[in-house]
Amino acid sequence: MGLVAAIAIAVVLLLVGLGGGYALGNYLGSRSSNSSSTSGSTSYTISETGSSLIYPLMQLWGPNFTKLYPNVQVSPQSTGSGTGISSAESGTVDIGGTDAYLLPSTAANYSLINVPVAISSQLVYYNLPGISAHINLNGTVLAMIYSGKITNWNDPMIQAANPSVSLPNLAIVPIHRQDGSGDTFMFTSMCYMSWSGWTYGYGTSVTWLSSSPSASGNAGMVTTLSHTTGGIAYIGISYESEAASSGLTYAALGTQAANLNGTNPANYALPTTANISADASLGLANLAPGSVAVSLILGGVPGATNLQLGKGGTMPAAGTTPYPDTNLEYTLIKTNPSDASKQKWVVAFLEWALAYGNSATYMNQVHFLPLTPAVVGYDMQALQAVTVSA
Amino acid sequence: MATADPALAASPPASPTPPAWDRYKLLTWLGSPLALIPLLALLAVALAIVSSGDLTLLLRGDFWSLTFNWNPLYPDQAAWAFPLYLLGTAITAGLALLFATLLSLALAISLTAYLPGWLGRSLATLTNLLAGIPSVVYGIWGYVVLAPYFGLTLQPTLRSYLAWLPFFGGPAAAAAPGTGVLLAVLILTVMIVPLTTAIIRDSLANVPSAVLEASLALGATQWETMRRVRLRVARRGVMGAVFLGFGRAVGESVAVAMVVGGQTQIPPSIYSGTTTVSAFLLYQQDSAFQYAALLHALVDFALVLLLITLFFNFLAQRATGERGAVGQTSAAGL
Repeated sequence: MGLVAAIAIAVVLLLVGLGGGYALGNYLGSRSSNSSSTSGSTSYTISETGSSLIYPLMQLWGPNFTKLYPNVQVSPQSTGSGTGISSAESGTVDIGGTDAYLLPSTAANYSLINVPVAISSQLVYYNLPGISAHINLNGTVLAMIYSGKITNWNDPMIQAANPSVSLPNLAIVPIHRQDGSGDTFMFTSMCYMSWSGWTYGYGTSVTWLSSSPSASGNAGMVTTLSHTTGGIAYIGISYESEAASSGLTYAALGTQAANLNGTNPANYALPTTANISADASLGLANLAPGSVAVSLILGGVPGATNLQLGKGGTMPAAGTTPYPDTNLEYTLIKTNPSDASKQKWVVAFLEWALAYGNSATYMNQVHFLPLTPAVVGYDMQALQAVTVSA
Repeated sequence: MATADPALAASPPASPTPPAWDRYKLLTWLGSPLALIPLLALLAVALAIVSSGDLTLLLRGDFWSLTFNWNPLYPDQAAWAFPLYLLGTAITAGLALLFATLLSLALAISLTAYLPGWLGRSLATLTNLLAGIPSVVYGIWGYVVLAPYFGLTLQPTLRSYLAWLPFFGGPAAAAAPGTGVLLAVLILTVMIVPLTTAIIRDSLANVPSAVLEASLALGATQWETMRRVRLRVARRGVMGAVFLGFGRAVGESVAVAMVVGGQTQIPPSIYSGTTTVSAFLLYQQDSAFQYAALLHALVDFALVLLLITLFFNFLAQRATGERGAVGQTSAAGL
């Protein structure tokens, strides 16, 4: 009885304390914002949630922005692109981070704009003992592998693209992400655009071959692939060093030209900075001004936000090899925020990120590439549409 | 504190002038609303599920289909294959429960009757410590340490010796991620053994010693007493342990999801991957925020899982609650 009484008293005290603390906090909060609205030094905490890929970038940017503007803190969370989108839609966070753009029509319904902040890419790794070369794989072949149409590494379609490699007689084990993921969105987009026989659509979660193994997170993909002889897996470029230390090798991926002529080794691209940038410039050419929402897969299709089955992307200029598995990382913000004085700082943070944070100094640390000047221009223009208080 | 003595609570001190306010009455008055919190929490969860789910989906064939189909471009053609998820859950939880019950019975019997007191006590403490390990730690252990060993060593060995047994042969895939039914059952077994052992041990210990002494006095051996008297008297506690263990195994998400493989299929062998209801909930919740149809299915999965675990907890209450408190104290204490 004594113990029960003690616990009951503790619980009551805790509840009273919480309530009192909340009331006191409210009171002090209203005092401080009242007093400081005249002096102009109100503190703000900008909340961000969403894509686990964007999270490390926000962690880099936030403290550097706070150094310049000590009254503003950036508080990022790594939750997932779906959470980023839904939280931005409901207005529970200031910035939603996502690997996939929000369709412009949906974005307009929720008064959101897409503001891309970086270029990322994805690598396709395989576990083939004894083969250290970057073998050539294109979107059509990958789509057929993940559909169970190509089941062996020495399949003529793979061998034809790799005349100099002796591929083993070994079953292919396609590994996919078990959790919902922007990486799955990128990879299925490429399969969908490349091969008209692809029946799984594209998105952060799709149906896969019922027998194919799965893993959770990019780290899980690296672990599972390294245990799976003959396996193949798509892994975000941020995990390049983990994959390399597990002894995995990545493929050279076919450009849109390789979907038409897969046997020409000149149509395959390694994920170099130059190739990734080339793909981004291809997809971002001839955009209408304003909020940028575009796929960069296979060079993208300018102006189109719904991908076409089997219709591919943009043909690269002769002699160029844009890396096809490339994507923009997006942030979503409200154009009609509930707190316009805070939104001023949200916009200021993104403007700083685009103008100063968009440099190799920051991007190299998280394996992203800086945006092209054209996208920065569009972003800056889109941010003008946001309602902020002076 | 003398005033907190139960005897005083039962019969207040007979003082000529009663105190202005009775502190126990005050505590009851303050405490009873707090006692409603679990009920309110359950109602809030049920309400959230009913309001954000699509309950008509539960009656439709595409929820109970036998093939999974989710194409984000055609949400109206989705088929959720709930029976496959349920079967995966039943297989992993059922097998784990079987092994856990056998292990716990052996452990509890040796702890209460055969081992010397100091050894029994320290073993019991160690078993209880296992219960305190967060489930994600078991998941990481299984995924990082055990999976490669299972895939590269244990499974090929088992297959080469036991392939003639049903479910022990299976396709000889070159792929050996090691995750699947076998690993999930092992991890789950290790996770629920502390719970079931504690309950069974308590119910064995609570059997009145007079009953045991009577049995021994009649000439029964130690083992006969255990089997025919002690276990029989404590059988409700054992049943309660089984039901609670099953509820825990069914609801466990993180650790199982990490090692079960994730394939939406009826596992053709114990080496194959399958999936569980809670793994679906864990891994699809981020995508569900993007696709309304997926969210509806997810919430309905959650509702059925909630009903199943409530049902087994109810059975556990029934088993331990009726006729005396054998094992009940430990069930409530965990």
